[in-house]
Amino acid sequence: MKIVAAAKILKANDQLAAETRAKLDAVGVFGVNLVGSPGAGKTTLLEALLAHWKGERWHAHACRGHATSMAPPRPAVIEGDIAGSIDAERIEKHGVPVVQINTQGACHLDASMVAAALADLDLGACDLLFIENVGNLVCTAGFDLGERLRILVLSTSEGDDKAAKYPAIFQSSQALFVTKTDLLPQTNFDLQRITADFRRLVPQGAIFPMAAIRGEGIPAAANWLAEKCRR
Amino acid sequence: MHELSIVEALIEQVQREVQRCGRAPTEGGHRPKVGPGRIRRLDLAVGRLSGVSCDSLRFAFELLSRDTLVAAAELHITEPKATCRCQACRACSEVDEITVRCPACGSLQVTVEGGRELLLQSIEIEE
Repeated sequence: MKIVAAAKILKANDQLAAETRAKLDAVGVFGVNLVGSPGAGKTTLLEALLAHWKGERWHAHACRGHATSMAPPRPAVIEGDIAGSIDAERIEKHGVPVVQINTQGACHLDASMVAAALADLDLGACDLLFIENVGNLVCTAGFDLGERLRILVLSTSEGDDKAAKYPAIFQSSQALFVTKTDLLPQTNFDLQRITADFRRLVPQGAIFPMAAIRGEGIPAAANWLAEKCRR
Repeated sequence: MHELSIVEALIEQVQREVQRCGRAPTEGGHRPKVGPGRIRRLDLAVGRLSGVSCDSLRFAFELLSRDTLVAAAELHITEPKATCRCQACRACSEVDEITVRCPACGSLQVTVEGGRELLLQSIEIEE
């Protein structure tokens, strides 16, 4: 007997992700999946954004807070790591609700981990949910978490050839945040090359260069995200 | 890529499909390794642009299928290619990787179709 299935192998993940998306939409929460290599600066980016919206002092720079008259988004964070809670502790210092997922060795988050973590968050108290994925440019591309926006975080020290070498993750992202631009003089990273490569894969993609640790480029990215979240 | 999680998802998918067709596994989730009721063959389609390595997938299947309902199943994998259509020279080329350049004329005005599937196509059970 032959059973004709013709089913996606990751169907269960895709279905759960669709449910998560519907659940977040229903309560007006905009989900963002942050992907990138280990050390690309995903958590630092989050810290800089949170400090910006809260008008906190961030490193040597006093953030002027949200530039528009509209209220800043109310963020919450899900942190995905193989082990430990270092990132969640960093986020917690900014007074933002955070849930840490430990994947126990798995190289990416999947929709079931995110769905379980949602139970620990008060979704009524936030409207922008960041899901920081496990640092990985390969596996994270294949797993929909139920987000509305996928942002790829790439640091200048990783090299400008990454879109050519890891096209799947670039192609699945709608925005590219190029971090650590303060290191540009020390690297041979070509911002024009990565911009051109990303645009070829994602013609409508947004690109934001930044030095999050100094707060440079953060207001533009923060306003763009706030705008996306409001829509 | 993440072939272990894909094989885990595959085994769960087989379980669901078999149950859906009223061919639920016998007591304890096991199916006989020989004779009627044995799952004998699984057909998968793994597109060349899916990012999944078929060798790793086979290896992961060998490890994870033990003591499951697919322990005795043979894995048959087809690898559909992708097509790169060029708007400049109108060439239609088969490609093995995500590309942004027409293999024929080098133009960047291309669209790549197909090759991303990751499908369980059919399950064969011995009568």
